[in-house]
Amino acid sequence: MAELLLRRLVPGRAGEIIAGDLREEFEARGGGRIWYWGEVLSCVAVRLSPHRLTAPDLRQDLHYAVRVLRRNPGYALTAMVCLALGIGVNSTVFSMVNELFWQPLPLPHSGRLATVGRESDGMACSYRDYLEFRQRASAPAGSLFSGLVAYNDMRVAIDSGGMSHIVGADAVTSNFADVMEMPAQIGRWFRPEDDRLGSDPVAVIGDGAWGRLFGRSPDVIGQRVRIGTQRYRIIGVASPGFVGMSPPHMVEIWMPLASQPDVRDLLANPGEWERPLVQMIGRLADGRRTRDVEAGMRALDALIRHDFPRDNAPAGAVTVALATGASRPDVRRVAAPMAALLLSVTAVVLLIACVNVANLILSRSAVRRHEMAVRRALGAGPWRLARQTLAEGMVLGAGGVVLGLAVGYWSGRLMARSLPGFPHGGMLALRLDPDWRVVAYAAAAGLASAVLFTLAPAMDAVRSNAGVSRRMRQRDVYVVAQVGLSLVLLIAATLLVRALGHALEVDPGFAMAGRLEARLSVSEPEYTADTGRLYLDRVLGSVRAMRDVQSATISQNTPLSITAARCAAPDASTRPRRAGSDIVAAGYFDTLGIPIVRGRPFAALDRQGAPEVVMVNETFARRYWPGKDPIGQSVWLGCDVKESRTVAQVVGVARDAKYASLDELPQPFVYRSLAQDWAGSMTLIVHTAGRPEKFTAALRATLTALDPNLRVYEIETLEACASGSLFQVRWQAALLAVFGGLAMVLAAVGLYGVVAYAVAQQTRELGIRMAIGAQRADLLWMVLGRGLRLTAVGIGIGLLLSAAATRLLGGLLYGMSPLDPVSFSAATLAWTVVAMLASYMPARRAMKVDPVVALRWE
Amino acid sequence: MVDPLVPPRCIAMSKRPLAAARDLVYNSELMSDHYLGEFEQIVLLAVLRLGDDAYGVPIRREIEKRCERKVTVGALYSTLDRLEAKEYLSSWFADPTAERGGRSRRYFRLEPAGVEALGRAKSMFERMWKGVRLA
Repeated sequence: MAELLLRRLVPGRAGEIIAGDLREEFEARGGGRIWYWGEVLSCVAVRLSPHRLTAPDLRQDLHYAVRVLRRNPGYALTAMVCLALGIGVNSTVFSMVNELFWQPLPLPHSGRLATVGRESDGMACSYRDYLEFRQRASAPAGSLFSGLVAYNDMRVAIDSGGMSHIVGADAVTSNFADVMEMPAQIGRWFRPEDDRLGSDPVAVIGDGAWGRLFGRSPDVIGQRVRIGTQRYRIIGVASPGFVGMSPPHMVEIWMPLASQPDVRDLLANPGEWERPLVQMIGRLADGRRTRDVEAGMRALDALIRHDFPRDNAPAGAVTVALATGASRPDVRRVAAPMAALLLSVTAVVLLIACVNVANLILSRSAVRRHEMAVRRALGAGPWRLARQTLAEGMVLGAGGVVLGLAVGYWSGRLMARSLPGFPHGGMLALRLDPDWRVVAYAAAAGLASAVLFTLAPAMDAVRSNAGVSRRMRQRDVYVVAQVGLSLVLLIAATLLVRALGHALEVDPGFAMAGRLEARLSVSEPEYTADTGRLYLDRVLGSVRAMRDVQSATISQNTPLSITAARCAAPDASTRPRRAGSDIVAAGYFDTLGIPIVRGRPFAALDRQGAPEVVMVNETFARRYWPGKDPIGQSVWLGCDVKESRTVAQVVGVARDAKYASLDELPQPFVYRSLAQDWAGSMTLIVHTAGRPEKFTAALRATLTALDPNLRVYEIETLEACASGSLFQVRWQAALLAVFGGLAMVLAAVGLYGVVAYAVAQQTRELGIRMAIGAQRADLLWMVLGRGLRLTAVGIGIGLLLSAAATRLLGGLLYGMSPLDPVSFSAATLAWTVVAMLASYMPARRAMKVDPVVALRWE
Repeated sequence: MVDPLVPPRCIAMSKRPLAAARDLVYNSELMSDHYLGEFEQIVLLAVLRLGDDAYGVPIRREIEKRCERKVTVGALYSTLDRLEAKEYLSSWFADPTAERGGRSRRYFRLEPAGVEALGRAKSMFERMWKGVRLA
């Protein structure tokens, strides 16, 4: 990490040389981690040296501040640790935001890589358009890009060790590695001949997949593995750290675009201009700026459309933007509110930490009254004294930043490891490496907090006659603010945690208990639609024959992750609208316990050749035939009005359910019968009598006994699927709980400090009271009362603030009120208990005051 | 050539002793274009002594051995960079080596201007020491 810091701070060749020198000496010394860190920090110190930045006067102030702090290491350390915690969580969250929005791809000269998209957020263009763009815009003939790549994000199943694993994949053009300037770790990347029609399908795997699936064996080169529907020969392993061009979506397999069935069809059919759609990324030609290139690409786009007219050209103007952060606009859109929420939460944590430090400085300024008086007598003006306080704050802030970056680095690691997983775990990866932006952000946060927490003490120094009672009042205000702010975070966290529980209780519209799902791949070349159906019948037969199985069925998608949609219209002339869609076998509604409200479910008579049938849900029926009987109505399926569409008759209406997530609104939905429709990948749903988790191994054994070549992946209970679909709120609840807890600890420390300080100040008074007959219990209550009074005011303010702030969480509460009384009272109660504890400890010390000693005090 | 005993005109010295002391600190930054600082002299001498073998690690060792003072890598390279910017030194990169984790060395060589500056500093000190006896 020290080296990382060095390389970030001293970029380029100079950093290389220094790192090399240190390495050489490190070897010669035979170790010495602390020495190494010292040397790196010396570079930091020289880079940020006050010599370079400031006038001599401030330099003196800083030197003096360092000396003062060195004489009071306990005070300095406490303040720095408080700040470090605040700055640490800020830098962790910021590095996450940085990754999603600004960090360039981990590739050489990645500042020159630009993604080409559309204003409509859609795919850039069709594959044939890409070939035209490439020829006209990129070297050698064009002058906009030095290289232009087309790619397609997808998810594929890769077989390894008898299991299928779903991983992210990119189909790319063969110039990919050249344009990205990225060598293979072992083996090679694609060559132009891999793009040709009929060439042997080859693939490059990522470093992660190499370790996980192939044990980092170099023999992987040349192995043939099944990826999706084809067998690919592995020819290389990508360099470590590269996980594709759309982080945080992780890509672990790269294949030539030309090996994809749809591109092969296209290459064989020269008239096709509309499909398949691809995304583009390119390396800007030297001296070109994104704005020029965008204008050039728009002109080219118009030219290509003019030369090759078609009906369905991609909508929206071409956009060119530097490839930083998550390149997909939809990811950015989802992440933006979450990022804003987390950044403001961590800012509040930092604020609380700052207040703690301000409190510390205030109590020290009471101790340093003499010192200040002497300096004033020597002729120091009030501003000079204030500046001295500020310089001390700067030094504390700088220490806080350095410690905070270390805290942030480790907490980032911890976070990446221990946070609740994403659905389809392993498909998303966050790189939380600090870069210069994170360091700059932490430094800015440190500077801002230094100004913030020294402001009040500095004002204090300016006003020479500030008395003890005034300072006491100021400290009280601070504690009240801390309690209020941390209560807001605590209430927000409690609300989210409760919302999570609430969401799990939402009625999904189908039964989950005892149900298990297994994803099966029944695709070409092993299976066609006909042989696949026969095979699935056999699967159903043998699964139903297993012990403890109550029923079993097949559907295309797993419940609660149905994002597939198709176009539907009630007649030929109406413009089709999208409706959710699934393909299901007979028995689906029984197995999942979805009631049929009208008509009948699919049955054996709905076979191929028989009239086409569909089932719809209540919302669909209400939308298209309000007040009429939906049974017997026709549904036109298919998006393209010109192409032939399927017409099917509605035979039944099923009750509305949740399809893609638990918090969705009711949406129209169409069920097609498995006998009349087909998809290469299917889900087996089994209802068992016992605990479904225990059934997994038996189910797998039955399935592989049936066909050793069958590819099964993801055997999971429906309940686990459902909780996976709540990952966003789970994530936010976990983070907020951590930050809320941290805020509470910091605020409790602040409260403790204030009460303890008050006890120290009042020792004499307590002694007198005791001497004239006060009981220990009275003293206890006197001290406790002070802490509790402050807490009560803080809680009052915190409740008001929370009532305003929790509205912002509205979308994440799954219908729960943002003013949920249980969350509010639970958080309040928790704070009261903590406040009792924080003030009880100093109060107990007050009880032990010996009146004789106390009276002699001072 | 600059006469080392006549301060450049841009530097004004105050008459009041306290302010003069502060000015001295401040001006020493400005004057660094004309005078060699103590550490700069030490570094130039170390490069001169090492000859063809002058890169970061031995330069540090040489200074630490002869002056008996710790030198941090940050201070050393900021001084080397400054001296190079003044064209007292020049540097070039050697081929990467395995013992340095595949990184190259940066070798330094004294330029004629550097030799001249060292000579100036030496003669200045000699003039100042002439006839002085300690204790």
